[in-house]
Amino acid sequence: MKAIKINIIGFAGLFFGLMACQNELDEYNPSGITAEGVYTTPDGFESLVNATYSYTRWWYGKEDGYNLSEMGTDLWINGVDGGANVALVHYENLQSNQGSVETLWAKLYEAVNLCNAGLEFVAESGLSPALQLEREAEIRFLRAFYNWHIVETWGGVHLSSERTKTAQPTANRTPVDQFYASIKEDLNFAVANLPYPASQKGRVSRAGAEAFLARVHLTREEYNEAQTLAEKVINGYDFGLMENYADLWDMENVENEEVVFYVNYSSDLNLNDASNSITFPNGHSRGGHNGHLLFMSTYDRNGTVGMTRDIINGRPFARYMPSRYLLELFDEEVDSRFHGSFETVWYSNRPGTYSKTVDGQTVEFTLEEGDTAIWATKEVLSPAEELAKPFLVYDMESMYHPDGTYNNNRQYINLKKFVDPTRPSVAEQQSSRDAFVIRLAEMYLIAAEAALQEGDLQTAADHINVIRNRAAVPGMEATMAITPADLSIDFILEERARELAGEQFRWFDLKRTGKLVEKVKAYNPEAAANVREHHVLKPIPQRQLDAVINKDEFTQNPGYQ
Amino acid sequence: MRKLLLANGADDRFPLLQALRSPVAFLCIYLFFLTAVQNTALAQNTSVTGKVVSADDQLPVPGATVMLKGTSTGSVTDLDGNYSLTVPNRDGTLVVSFVGYQTQEVAINNRSLVNITLATDLSDLEEVIVIGYGEVKKSNVTGSIVSVKAEDLTRVPTTNVMESLQGRLPGVDITRSSGQAGAGINITVRGNRSLTASNSPLFIVDGIQYSNIQDLNPNDIQSMEVLKDAASTAIYGSRGANGVIIVTTKQGSVGKTRVTVNTYMGVSEVTKYPRVQTPQQYADLRREARRATGDWNGPEDDANIFNDWELASVRNNGGAIWPDLFLTEGSQQDYQVGVSSASEKSKFYVSLNYFNEKGNQRMDELNRYSIRANIDHAINDKISVGTQNQVTYYNQDFRRDPMNIANKINPLLDPYDEEGRVEFQPNNWKDVNPLIDEEPGHYKNNNRTTRLFSSGYFNYKIIDGLSFRSNLGMTLSNSRTGIYRGPETVDRAGAVSEAVYQTGNGIGLNWENIINYSKQMDAHSFTVTGIHTLLRNENETQSAQGRNQLLDYQLFYSLGNANDQLAIQSSYRASSLMSYTGRLQYGYNDKYLLMFTARADGASQLSEGNKWAFFPSVSTAWRIIEEDFMQSSNLFTDLKLRASYGVAGNAAVDPYSTESLLSRVPYAFDEVGAIGYTFGTRIGNINLGWEISKTYNLGLDFGLIQNRLVGTIDVYDTKTDDLLLDRFLPPSSGVSSITENIGKTRNRGIEIGLDAVAVEKGNVVWNLGVNWFTNKEEILELATGTDDIANGWFIGQPTRAYYDFKKAGIWQTHEADAALVYEQVPGEVKVVDQNGDNQIDANNDRVILGSPRPKWSGSFNSDLSVGNFDFNFQVFARWGQMMNYEFYDVYDPSGNENSHAHDYWTPENPSNSYPRPNAGRTQGSTIYYSSLLYEDASFVKLRGVTIGYNLPTAALERLGIGRLRVYVTGKNMLVLSNVDNYDPERGGAMSNPIPRLLVGGINLEF
Repeated sequence: MKAIKINIIGFAGLFFGLMACQNELDEYNPSGITAEGVYTTPDGFESLVNATYSYTRWWYGKEDGYNLSEMGTDLWINGVDGGANVALVHYENLQSNQGSVETLWAKLYEAVNLCNAGLEFVAESGLSPALQLEREAEIRFLRAFYNWHIVETWGGVHLSSERTKTAQPTANRTPVDQFYASIKEDLNFAVANLPYPASQKGRVSRAGAEAFLARVHLTREEYNEAQTLAEKVINGYDFGLMENYADLWDMENVENEEVVFYVNYSSDLNLNDASNSITFPNGHSRGGHNGHLLFMSTYDRNGTVGMTRDIINGRPFARYMPSRYLLELFDEEVDSRFHGSFETVWYSNRPGTYSKTVDGQTVEFTLEEGDTAIWATKEVLSPAEELAKPFLVYDMESMYHPDGTYNNNRQYINLKKFVDPTRPSVAEQQSSRDAFVIRLAEMYLIAAEAALQEGDLQTAADHINVIRNRAAVPGMEATMAITPADLSIDFILEERARELAGEQFRWFDLKRTGKLVEKVKAYNPEAAANVREHHVLKPIPQRQLDAVINKDEFTQNPGYQ
Repeated sequence: MRKLLLANGADDRFPLLQALRSPVAFLCIYLFFLTAVQNTALAQNTSVTGKVVSADDQLPVPGATVMLKGTSTGSVTDLDGNYSLTVPNRDGTLVVSFVGYQTQEVAINNRSLVNITLATDLSDLEEVIVIGYGEVKKSNVTGSIVSVKAEDLTRVPTTNVMESLQGRLPGVDITRSSGQAGAGINITVRGNRSLTASNSPLFIVDGIQYSNIQDLNPNDIQSMEVLKDAASTAIYGSRGANGVIIVTTKQGSVGKTRVTVNTYMGVSEVTKYPRVQTPQQYADLRREARRATGDWNGPEDDANIFNDWELASVRNNGGAIWPDLFLTEGSQQDYQVGVSSASEKSKFYVSLNYFNEKGNQRMDELNRYSIRANIDHAINDKISVGTQNQVTYYNQDFRRDPMNIANKINPLLDPYDEEGRVEFQPNNWKDVNPLIDEEPGHYKNNNRTTRLFSSGYFNYKIIDGLSFRSNLGMTLSNSRTGIYRGPETVDRAGAVSEAVYQTGNGIGLNWENIINYSKQMDAHSFTVTGIHTLLRNENETQSAQGRNQLLDYQLFYSLGNANDQLAIQSSYRASSLMSYTGRLQYGYNDKYLLMFTARADGASQLSEGNKWAFFPSVSTAWRIIEEDFMQSSNLFTDLKLRASYGVAGNAAVDPYSTESLLSRVPYAFDEVGAIGYTFGTRIGNINLGWEISKTYNLGLDFGLIQNRLVGTIDVYDTKTDDLLLDRFLPPSSGVSSITENIGKTRNRGIEIGLDAVAVEKGNVVWNLGVNWFTNKEEILELATGTDDIANGWFIGQPTRAYYDFKKAGIWQTHEADAALVYEQVPGEVKVVDQNGDNQIDANNDRVILGSPRPKWSGSFNSDLSVGNFDFNFQVFARWGQMMNYEFYDVYDPSGNENSHAHDYWTPENPSNSYPRPNAGRTQGSTIYYSSLLYEDASFVKLRGVTIGYNLPTAALERLGIGRLRVYVTGKNMLVLSNVDNYDPERGGAMSNPIPRLLVGGINLEF
């Protein structure tokens, strides 16, 4: 009896004793970290600041970014493998489910949210007060930078200044003016509190903030402020134009005196942004600077001779082909920027005997290593002239129809600003080339445009001539120089095309000057029939519109389905 | 059908007599149940002893109940089948009963020794059904439970035992997930309640939770029970919210040692796979695409649209049908040996198994090895212990799916160069030849997984009727995945090689303490059960990666020799569940049955303050057949009405869902690393709580004409509140999803199962079975108040619905003016302008097109045996569902990539299927393309056909063989559906089609 009692009591004790181990239900998560735990330590807060910079890599040097900033303009048409981009390059059925639009919408807002968190946590970061101020200035610069991309691309859409702490199912429609008020407030703070030079290469300096603010003022038609700031960047610091335009794009010179602000890519691929299932699952599918892939024509494909794909010549994705208009903007006899920007000759790396047929006549020729194998030219050659060349010729007529539509979008004169022969393998997509966001030349162009708008033609011409002087083929400086009489907004746009083609400005330039539709209709024959006035704003992603619960307030931009 | 020791702790038929003889036990009983003992105590006059044996084999029947009729005096036979009973006099009648045997009444007739022979009960009603922490006779089941016999599990050879149940369980929707070797199954019980939390049922193997059901060999399984209604699953609390599948593995039985050998082998073949365009059809589409842009007007323009080698291929009928290069014959083979035996005190069952499956693509192969050992031992009358163990080892090779490329690659290409070698990047780097992965040394993806599933129990019969049991179960798993991708592979496409090495170890602990008390008092029977459960899962993973291996042959075995981009990562996650459960079962005369269950569950992954929830349930049954007015019925042999109501919870969300976690971002200033941490895409929910489902169930069980026709009908209605929902958020908030408790769903359905003995005459037996069920899944309420388009949730619709523009056809030439209203031209996709406002917009013109949920499923089974031959077939239908059909997505209007052989529009071919090819278009710029992708996925299939032959016993006996059966089975023999050359069970996907399987096998028993 006693034994049984003890047994029963024992079991009951065991049974109910188990109720005591309630802390079994406490979660233990040693491999996960939270904002409150990380951002309140000095190193943790620095990691937040690092991350706020990282989102710039989604736009600069990336196909999505080129699609939204350079394409859909007068400068580019589709290359043979650019089919997926027709909606943005040619405005063909541009709708709210377009991939680049979706991706960048999400990434820009992620960036803004992180910046908001940075401003929330900076006081608790444990950094010294001076460093707190400097980091806050960097974060505010970046928030303004991201918000500028948002408001210019989509107009008066959602503006937020608070970190998202819980589900936020609504979005606001903030007027463009209010967006810009916030952008300018952040930039003014940045200008007041950033050091020059920046404490580390790749961080934004005071000059970078001023330069960007100059761009913002220009966009807002605040010409006086724009000119003042641009001239301050030109004169107030130790920036200078590279002597030779082509040298700007040499991989040896990715850090040069002309660059005011850039997006950093690293040659240590572990520090780059390519998605990696282990270390960075949310990364970019390609990573690194991709400009070298996207603009390149297919020198190695069927139809060409003497060439095989190699690291020096690069890996052609053939997404973007220059418009005939862009090529014709240059007078390469006097302007070094044509050959500084475009590839026209490919030298044989696959020697052998080849043949070509022109106008029904076939000729054979032998190529040695290093001989010219392919020549793409703006000239128009007669069949006889072409047959006489012991290499393949793509002349203007074989690349373009007279109306400017393409005749051959496989092989063409291609933009070479971003080629990277330092990549470890020919297939490597990640280039370590830094993406220049602001370089000094832009400041001259901003100052010139602002001065022109203010009626100060001489100052405008002077600024332009600095650029053109540098760009001149040696001995052609005088020919390159312009007079105030040459100036017009169209001329500025032409000059910007010559100077900045491919550098992710064009769409904003045309939008700012109100000439997007006009220029596209005039010079982009592939897009002319499709472009409409409503294309000055991109469509808001359908995923966003579907997810908000205030559908009556947060509506699609006009013109889109 | 006899069960000796019961796996799940309710071995309350264990020798009662011994317990009664114990004076201590007597005292306890006296204390606890005075009245019950009084009867016995007052009349201690004389005794009756005897032995109970089975009529089949004359073997003892342990655990049989021997009662003196009209009293509560009784005893239970011991392991040798002996009983001893104290009776007031020797005039009475003994009532002897045991599960699986017909109850017998024997008059004592003044004998002191009464031996009894029990005849086997052919009626299923006496079958024991495992109900979770106990078992009851099938006739006394109050909830909605389906039971599956061992022979149903092994009839059609399957990789995964659950696949063999397809179509056999009303209310359980089972589909095979793909044709890949070792592919899993999708299983839902009574539809999907939850939108994002898991809808997978709980698997209980020998009393312990075990989610890796694919590890089990069907031949090792004694029985399976599926618990469907909330009242039945209530004992499992939140874990059982999506239904419970209870598996009982085999155990030894007293008698001579039994050896079984089961083996089969066979071949599989993809017989249904839609066709891509031939090289010539592809050339025609390219021409048409260029014709649309004015670049091609006749064969003279071929040279402008094809390059040199393409032109040569077009002219010489070159090129290839690429998908055919990958689909090959696969195979399956299985070898299983089981040995079982039992002595008085101990029982064991041991089995070995090897299974090999080669998929229908090279480099797709699964090897599974497993060993099972079940041991039970009675230390004395009171204490018994036992253990079930299974070790499973998988060695599996995967390949990167080549079918996507094979379907789209330019078919004018020749896969091989002039010397017959696989060309890595034909078409001058534009494409990667997917055959390249098959070249030796290029690609390897190997997984090795070992799982040890081990459980032990300790059972203590404190006094008669009162027992304590403690179960400890452990699942220890280890896996290693090694991937090597050489430079020349589809994945690397010429970039430096990459090697990945990932390991994981998981620990699942399950500790349960159960107190059980049963008491029979005259016509009243009670069983009270109390359970405490603690469940803990911990998982750790480690990953490492390196690029640019020094030597290719080192594969993933020497990551330190990789030159670039070494990366490592490790992670930990854990979750716990704790619960307290009480259950009361009451029966009156086996006529009125009642069961109450109450359970409190605490889940670690929910928010502080929301971790605990309480789940009550009640179920009741009325065995109408036991009523006096039914006694005269000749028609009914069984009739039972069941009703239940229960509350169940679901907390099956990821651990740490309450936390907003940061994720790592690599960055650098110049070349100085500057690692960042940013917000993950999911935001934590600090108010996360239980999802609660309330289910009503009404059921009817009946048996007609001496049980020649038996059937079950169930109707149910489940409403789920506080739905756990992974919600897509507006990206403008900077995060993209959250797990929330919002919304309500409802599932209603009817389930019918009928079994009939159509013929039973001489040596001919023909059984027929029909299962049919329907479930209506419906969202009642959502966070957004209205339809949540971003997440694809619509009020009144199932949890998954297809929402898009509705295709009306293709704009025809004569409709040019009408098309222009919508800024379209003939040859483009025409969709329905739902509101007739002459413009198509996303807000007003998209509609619900369908759902992947079937309207109903059903099956028809026929089992015929004639003498030594048996013939079986099953027809399975799944009806009313829609799929997003990947093959419809294989269409490149520009003629750049290959397309499937679609009937596309041209000015001469006024098709309404596909838009006109156009070299300036891509799929992305083809307006309303997505409206083409939906297809009815209803199908009927002849799932399995088996012919078997049992060799004559007489001949076998001389060889010492008990039973030898040989059989051939065909699986997936015939599929009828709306689409050509495709098995819609695959769900629309293009990769790993479901093959037809032909196997031959042997069942041998010594």
